[in-house]
Amino acid sequence: MDQKSEMNKKRGGGGSGRQIAVDLIDEKPSKRHMLPVWFFIGLILLTYGVIIFVTGIYEISHPPSTILSNLHAPIWWGGLLGIIGAVYILKYRPHGQ
Amino acid sequence: MTPGFGFLHLSFAWLFAAPSASAKTLSPHPVDFAIIAIYFAMVIGIGLYLKKYTKSGKDFFLAGREMTAWVAGLSFVSANLGALELMGWAGSAYQYGILAAHWYWMGAIPAMLFLAIVMMPFYYISKTHSVPGYLHLRYGQATGGLSAVCFAIMTLLMSGVDMFAMALVLKVMLGWNLNFSIWVSSITVGIYVTLGGLFSAIFNEVVQFFLIWFGALLIPILGLVEAGGWTGLVARIHRNFPQQDFTHLWRGLGHFSDNPMGIHWTGIVFGLGMTLSFGYWTTDFLVIQRVIAAKDIRAAKMAPVIGSFFKMAVPFIVILPGLLALAVLPYHLVPQSAIGSAPGLHSYNEVLPLMLARYCGPGLLGLGVTALIAGFMSGMAGNVSAFSTVWTYDLYRAFIRKGASDSHYLSMGRWCTMTGVVLSIGAAYLVMQFASIMDYVQALFSFFIAPLFGTVLLGMLWKRITGWGAFWGLLAGTVSSVSMFTLVKLNPRALAYVALSAHARAMAENMYRALWSWIICVIVTVVVSYVTRPQPVESLKGLVYGQTELPSEGHLALWQRPIFWAGVALLVFLFLQWVFW
Repeated sequence: MDQKSEMNKKRGGGGSGRQIAVDLIDEKPSKRHMLPVWFFIGLILLTYGVIIFVTGIYEISHPPSTILSNLHAPIWWGGLLGIIGAVYILKYRPHGQ
Repeated sequence: MTPGFGFLHLSFAWLFAAPSASAKTLSPHPVDFAIIAIYFAMVIGIGLYLKKYTKSGKDFFLAGREMTAWVAGLSFVSANLGALELMGWAGSAYQYGILAAHWYWMGAIPAMLFLAIVMMPFYYISKTHSVPGYLHLRYGQATGGLSAVCFAIMTLLMSGVDMFAMALVLKVMLGWNLNFSIWVSSITVGIYVTLGGLFSAIFNEVVQFFLIWFGALLIPILGLVEAGGWTGLVARIHRNFPQQDFTHLWRGLGHFSDNPMGIHWTGIVFGLGMTLSFGYWTTDFLVIQRVIAAKDIRAAKMAPVIGSFFKMAVPFIVILPGLLALAVLPYHLVPQSAIGSAPGLHSYNEVLPLMLARYCGPGLLGLGVTALIAGFMSGMAGNVSAFSTVWTYDLYRAFIRKGASDSHYLSMGRWCTMTGVVLSIGAAYLVMQFASIMDYVQALFSFFIAPLFGTVLLGMLWKRITGWGAFWGLLAGTVSSVSMFTLVKLNPRALAYVALSAHARAMAENMYRALWSWIICVIVTVVVSYVTRPQPVESLKGLVYGQTELPSEGHLALWQRPIFWAGVALLVFLFLQWVFW
């Protein structure tokens, strides 16, 4: 904390409030090998896409009582989700070190 | 707060008067439950994965300060995309037509761009961890403490209100037990935020952003197909409601009585566009926290700009379903007051679930419900992560235990997250017992927003503003807002003075009350500042315009500069106003 207090003074801070800010900036950004959020998005979109697509195939023979069910939205919507999810997974999948 | 300032219109009476579970709006299939269960597993899995990367206070409270502009920008918008906001504004669109889009365009875009270009550099360069933290740095303990206490209390109460309202929504839509919804969803949020802190909250918010869009987007797509495109939609609305104008943004705002909202254009421009929205988007720590976590100042400036493009698109999944309901539903929705006398009718607020049930069969229905649950959970995670930061740094460290180790504050943050969840659950049950608290809690939050914007803005732009000026200005603005609210409650005729017209409706009252309280805050702040001793200039470095070295962007190509994209966003915003004028 002494070093940080010194830093506060150098930055021109005088009040007690100045100390609060400095504590959070002194650390150097760390290098991490974290999976990007886009990979998780790909994972859940692909999962949902497959489920909805398969449901849509089933609904061809058992159509639901919704409006415009003849458009088979689950098939193309599920397909779209699955494709986007697969692209995200491939693009952001973890690589070996 | 999850639903932003826009929730103020949403009456919760319909939820309390909701039909029994047997009359639920939706009938989910097992595959829908599987989709919902996968979502819960995924968010907890993300929290577990991120725990090993959350080792310091900086990681837990600021997500390591390494978020890219896209992640911070999507999280910034997602934290505001609450389920109640989606449902409430879809209902408003049915009730008021496209006027409801003002809350997404005029009520958001100018403020978001102002935050990005003017205010973000000060938040970022000051290296603060929160908005109360900035006030502490700029004005000292009194103003920072006042702001932190108000924010912490309001965050918990709002979190509880949101939680209870969402549980009621799930009961109405799916027939779920209230206690089950409250405990399962809040414990899930508690687990993933406690494990990964802001990292986890932001990651999940970005995932939730995608789910909200993919879950809700089919309604306008299929709705437009059914209505025959935009032209068919407008023609059907005119046929179904020949006396009313539901499809113009500005044309009916010349007089209070010329539009269904009972509002004048001055209320939209000055009350909503220049006061309330600036207050929310530039000072509410729930959303600001996402941008502060950006990896550098350019990313911090770009994040709200990126968010503004998506915010402009949100009416497509919120307002358009309300308009489509006006066009295609074979029956008319009614105000809640009409429901009690005639069972079997549906209220405005049920628009979104009704449209979901109209177009979405098994699977897609589960995705739509997951979108609503995701909206709720992103808001709650935002609340508890913001509460944990403000408590740990702005209250605990500032007033209770200074100088402890980073690991101590990290531990406090984790405990505080769990405590915040438990207190939110307590607030939810409190609301369950005293229903009228809900509307008052939401009004309370609105009291604080507009004056806070005056305090922060003056502090950033004018070095002459003093700590005492800010403190008394903030207090005077907040008290005046409460006084106006109370006055109108006690004597409804006072509305003619507060909102400039006896024809004004509740929304117009909110807009004008915000405007007056902001003006009072600014006047008191300036007057008190001039009669108190100026702060030393050297203590304002990095905090105030003129005393802060702002990094040059001259070396960047035009398309890499935030100001360029802010200009593009502004043009798109103006284009939308012109198209729907």
